[in-house]
Amino acid sequence: MTGKFGARSAVIAGVHMTRQGDLSDEQPASVYWDVVKRALADAGLTLADIDGLIGPAPEGVGLRASLPGGVMADLLGRPLRFHASTAVGAASIAAGVGLAVMAVEHGMADVVILPTVSAGKGSGYTSSDRGAAIVHMAKLGTPYEWLWGTTRVADHAVIARRHMHEYGTTPGQLAEVAVAQRHSATLHPRSVMGAKGEITIDDVLGSRVIAEPLHLLDSCLVNQGAGCIVVAADDRLDRGRPRVRLLGYGQAHSYLDPCSAPSLTTFSGGLAADTAFGMAGVTRDDIDVVSLSDHFTINVIIGLEDAGFCKKGEGGAFVEGGALRIDGRLPTNTFGGYLSGTHAGQCGAFGLIEMVEQLRGTAGARQVKDARLGYVHGVGGVMQNHFGAILARD
Amino acid sequence: MSALDEKFLPPGDLPDLHKPFWAHLRAHSLRLQQCEDGHLRFIPSEQCGKCGSQAWTWEPVSGRGKVYTFTVVHRGPTPAYQAETPYVIAHVELEEGPRMISNLIDCTPAEVRIGMPVEVVFDDVNADWTLYRFKPAGEG
Ligand SMILES: [Zn+2]
Repeated sequence: MTGKFGARSAVIAGVHMTRQGDLSDEQPASVYWDVVKRALADAGLTLADIDGLIGPAPEGVGLRASLPGGVMADLLGRPLRFHASTAVGAASIAAGVGLAVMAVEHGMADVVILPTVSAGKGSGYTSSDRGAAIVHMAKLGTPYEWLWGTTRVADHAVIARRHMHEYGTTPGQLAEVAVAQRHSATLHPRSVMGAKGEITIDDVLGSRVIAEPLHLLDSCLVNQGAGCIVVAADDRLDRGRPRVRLLGYGQAHSYLDPCSAPSLTTFSGGLAADTAFGMAGVTRDDIDVVSLSDHFTINVIIGLEDAGFCKKGEGGAFVEGGALRIDGRLPTNTFGGYLSGTHAGQCGAFGLIEMVEQLRGTAGARQVKDARLGYVHGVGGVMQNHFGAILARD
Repeated sequence: MSALDEKFLPPGDLPDLHKPFWAHLRAHSLRLQQCEDGHLRFIPSEQCGKCGSQAWTWEPVSGRGKVYTFTVVHRGPTPAYQAETPYVIAHVELEEGPRMISNLIDCTPAEVRIGMPVEVVFDDVNADWTLYRFKPAGEG
């Protein structure tokens, strides 16, 4: 017996990424509407077309913050047909792409926006005060973690240390990730670190140690910015518009408490990837370009292993020799990633936006030649929550 | 003085099921939850992840274990922690199996190795709270 849904087709129709960096002088709601309108315009659509939202509304405290669908109805002057959120940490907005496609293909919405905005003074992890953001992020875990003076860097440093112990991964291999991604960032006009120029392995190893074995240049940026993705019914778009399709999608949730994690070097990224690849009917060898959450250099090495692009423990060797560069064996995080591109708000959105640009062939100087099939992997928390998505251009 | 000038303490709103853990620490006893099937677990939780049991007792453990992984923190989260850098955060695998995270004290960061034997120490930080930390085993 076949299911009831899935009669029509949904596509990723529009994306936009604003200026990234310090947006503390801007009003969050203004930035929100700006990025939403520009992403809609990229799809040939307008605000009048929105009937679905994944993620937050432009404003709201208390009840208004927890019920974004109603807030959007207030602000648009008409009801929405669909609202949802996902729980994949910093990749939650990007992870919503699977839900958005399902909502549209099941006829629950025609045009769904997935916005993330970090602007204004902010608070918590989106605070424009770097120190306040670091304290907030240090206390994301339980007291059984933060009592001891941990930080997000330290949370990942223990993973890097264990990976080095089990597999012989070296600090130089970690640095390879940062070097390749910085090169890509120099080719992206809106990357935060591109203007600073290229870096070398020695630059990474010589940068300040934050939590051994991770250095400053092994670590993501802390900046502001906004991005938005638009998923729409194929039949709502003009014929000539570029369409990027979701071929496969999966999630996986590894653990929450690090003491309960069965391993600190293998996580459930493979489960998310297997679901996505199984659905898409393609193999890892078919993939031309990758976006993969890179809060720290170690995340990329473990992420590539878990997602099946190399064997467990071989990630360090895999990234050597510029393999992740735009002209490398597996171009990865071609906007610079969170390390050198941008790490703002629900940062997973930026990996997805970059993938859409690559598959459309509009990535300019950083365009991967003949990029037809891409894999996006978003991670929330400390390798805790995952989604994998396989995208293709029409 | 700002709240960030002092190190963090356990929050006042700890769930009730966590409270015996801290009460035992106050008496300098390290006890973890054990289900009816004998599975020990940490951190406190309402259900055994191995068998699904929702019944437990608080069983004493040795406090001895080995460093499973660690980091030396050079940039702490707040001024109170920054004043003490570099300090060690270690994940300790207890002889009985569960892992616990804490500071590793009474050693220099350069001495720390994965696999190093350690034992628990009880730190009475104020009139209300006793924290658990670890030190190299077999000293004092
Ligand atoms: Zn049990």
